[in-house]
Amino acid sequence: MKMPLRLLILVALALPTAAVAQRGDPVYVEDRLNQLQQAISLLTGQIEQLQYRNQQLQQQMEKMQADYEFRLEQVEKGGGRPGGAPGARPTAPPTAAAAPQAAAAAGAADQVYNDAFKKLQDGDYAGAEKGFRTFVQRNPQHALAGNAQYWLGETYYARRDYQNAMTAFAEGYKAYKTSPKGPDNLLKLGVTLANLGRKPDACAIFARFAQDYPRATDLQKRRIVQERQKNGCG
Amino acid sequence: MNTRFDMMLPRRQTILGGVALAAGTAAPAAAQLTIDMTKPSFEPVPIAIVDFKGDKVGADIAGVVRNDLQNSGLFRSIAPSTFIQQNIDPNQPPRFPEWRQIGAAGVVVGQVTTAGGNIKVDFRLWDVVVGQQATGLSFTSQPNNWRRLAHIIADAIYKRVTGEEGYFDTRVAYVSETGPLGARVKRIAIMDQDGFNNRYITDGRSIALTPRFSPTLQEIVYMAYGERNEQPRVYLQNVDSGRRELLGNFPGMSFAPRFSPDGTKVVMSISADGNSDIYQMDVRGRALQRLTNSPAIDTSPCYSNDGTQIVFNSDRGGTQQLYVMSASGGGDRRISFGEGRYATPVWSPRGDFIAFTKISAGSFGIGVMRADGSGERMLASGFLVEGPTWAPNGRVLMFFRQQPNSGGRAGSVTLHQIDITGRFERQVPTPTDASDPAWSPLIPQ
Amino acid sequence: MRMIKALTAIAAMFLIAACSSEQAAAPATTTVTPGSVADFRQNVGDRVFFDTDQSTIREDGRATLGKQAEWLKKYTNYQLTVEGHCDERGTREYNLALGERRANAARQYLIAQGIPAARIKTISFGKERPDPVGSDEAAWARNRRAVTALQ
Repeated sequence: MKMPLRLLILVALALPTAAVAQRGDPVYVEDRLNQLQQAISLLTGQIEQLQYRNQQLQQQMEKMQADYEFRLEQVEKGGGRPGGAPGARPTAPPTAAAAPQAAAAAGAADQVYNDAFKKLQDGDYAGAEKGFRTFVQRNPQHALAGNAQYWLGETYYARRDYQNAMTAFAEGYKAYKTSPKGPDNLLKLGVTLANLGRKPDACAIFARFAQDYPRATDLQKRRIVQERQKNGCG
Repeated sequence: MNTRFDMMLPRRQTILGGVALAAGTAAPAAAQLTIDMTKPSFEPVPIAIVDFKGDKVGADIAGVVRNDLQNSGLFRSIAPSTFIQQNIDPNQPPRFPEWRQIGAAGVVVGQVTTAGGNIKVDFRLWDVVVGQQATGLSFTSQPNNWRRLAHIIADAIYKRVTGEEGYFDTRVAYVSETGPLGARVKRIAIMDQDGFNNRYITDGRSIALTPRFSPTLQEIVYMAYGERNEQPRVYLQNVDSGRRELLGNFPGMSFAPRFSPDGTKVVMSISADGNSDIYQMDVRGRALQRLTNSPAIDTSPCYSNDGTQIVFNSDRGGTQQLYVMSASGGGDRRISFGEGRYATPVWSPRGDFIAFTKISAGSFGIGVMRADGSGERMLASGFLVEGPTWAPNGRVLMFFRQQPNSGGRAGSVTLHQIDITGRFERQVPTPTDASDPAWSPLIPQ
Repeated sequence: MRMIKALTAIAAMFLIAACSSEQAAAPATTTVTPGSVADFRQNVGDRVFFDTDQSTIREDGRATLGKQAEWLKKYTNYQLTVEGHCDERGTREYNLALGERRANAARQYLIAQGIPAARIKTISFGKERPDPVGSDEAAWARNRRAVTALQ
């Protein structure tokens, strides 16, 4: 807030040369004042935005750092689980599911999906959220709808907005149970519930996994076992 | 307006005591008599509300309770025509299997008796799933208060089932709009939350806008023009006596008033030379304190639930955005960073969320964000939606919708309520077009 | 560059002035008494328009306000109230403030043209008094206005 004031003084000092001819014309003075006020509010707005971005970047950096440390630790331990425990790191999701190829549908829809996915990878969670939501709303029957619903949940999860993440994952489980992302989605629903302190609900979700997804990958099954242990599920 | 609202309500006692609960073991039923509103998806709780015994007023009370619960979106009131058990004794457990058969999770029964010019209402909520009484209360009041008694019963049921405080025993102040747009009559009205007992607080000879309740509901603050369209000013008016006072007489326009949560202060905008800033006034001593000083428009201030902060709307950064500052001024920080313009911030009575109006890409929306600006969620949108206000439980919002004008005729303006998950929106009935709703706290009992 | 801009601005002012005097010529031949409120409205123009969310007086508005000032200097028996208005595409409270800012911008312009400050009051109607009534771009453009009312 201090910055624009200093700028104002600079600009004010720079004025006189151009002003000589019209000095004293009250309309001119009024105009300049208006222009300066507008310039200041523009700068104020820009500074606010920059401060905000800066803060966001800082938070993201911290998260990334935590992520690296976690991964390094895993490597040092020799465990080397590629994905790590799902609940541990609220950073960008693992690799892109080879989803885009799966869809042979219209280009426009794919474009929305791909853009959203790109934003997710860039850490623009709000942008990704909007994209995935739009995609699911417009293309609820699309082959990628289940994926989009899952990633929508991830955009909240990454921002620690567990309440919305829970809603999105639950919706995913309800509407796209058989989607390729179904097992990941259910797993993440459980993890999110645990994060919300709702362990009994989380355990109930984990308990469903084997029955709903008998053909899940070993990795997914292992994570379920880990999560059940972590949350003290019976 | 003319009669003071005194009643014998406070005598409230439970009647849980000696009722035999000899019902059988709980059969596995589909529906439960509890609901977690924060759950991502749920079915409304099916509930059967039997006409209360005791003349017509018994049936009337049951009707109001049904209406309240159904309108919350969390309950499904089962049609009385499908009830199997008829002539139910309000003091005996209902025949649970017959209620399970029609899919009810809960049954509400009650009776109205008269004694010494007052009416006494008892009710019980039976949990059909477990076959037990879930809650039961008894109230005494004057007969003309029967609607309030019904709302209080609905609140008790809502609380028992959702775990949240109810909001049915509340009022709504709003701006009633009539006449052609170019010469629209805008007057302040107050009604019960369900649209009943509507009455006018200003006479319509001057434009009156933005009413807000004091925490005791005894006073409202609002902005009104003079009768010959003189400069708008902020007025404080006693709801029952109708007595109104000017809150400070300033050379410029004063507007956008709102009470502090403890009712001792009113925050508002005052403009001078075309520039609006935020001021806080002590209601008793009328001392005025300036809180913002910027060449921008600073308006729509609202206190946090604990009264320590103020959220407001400013265009100091070029477009309307939301800012939070200390309630004594200073420490301003911007909290809205999404695309579009943000306006009319209102802090939830629970303190967790701030609701707002957002204008982006030519359309209007009502949304909520956390108090730090994160987690923005849009709940409703339209050609023009504006002015959210919180129910006292912080779980439901009311706002207004305006349809586009066409052919020189005004589009309709209506009040709507929506829960904070954005799942259930419904129109709130009003006798005229209506805008600027202000939801009251729970009516003191 | 500055020079060219200034020149085009001046040219624009002439154009506008020319247009409005032509428009004014027709009704002037009817029965309007010079110096009356009707004369002011018809032959001078009682309102200026603004861009969305702005309170800067546009070039066309300057021409109108300049003519208003000339007329008001001639007929000094009137007091004025400048009414600021907004279109319906904003929120009520913010629009009250924006209308006030618009009214004040027009007032300042008139004062700069030599009208005594004491003659001019302002009032904002925000979006409460649309004229014309409509929900399209054309109506909104006409609603973003400052109207000089004579008393």
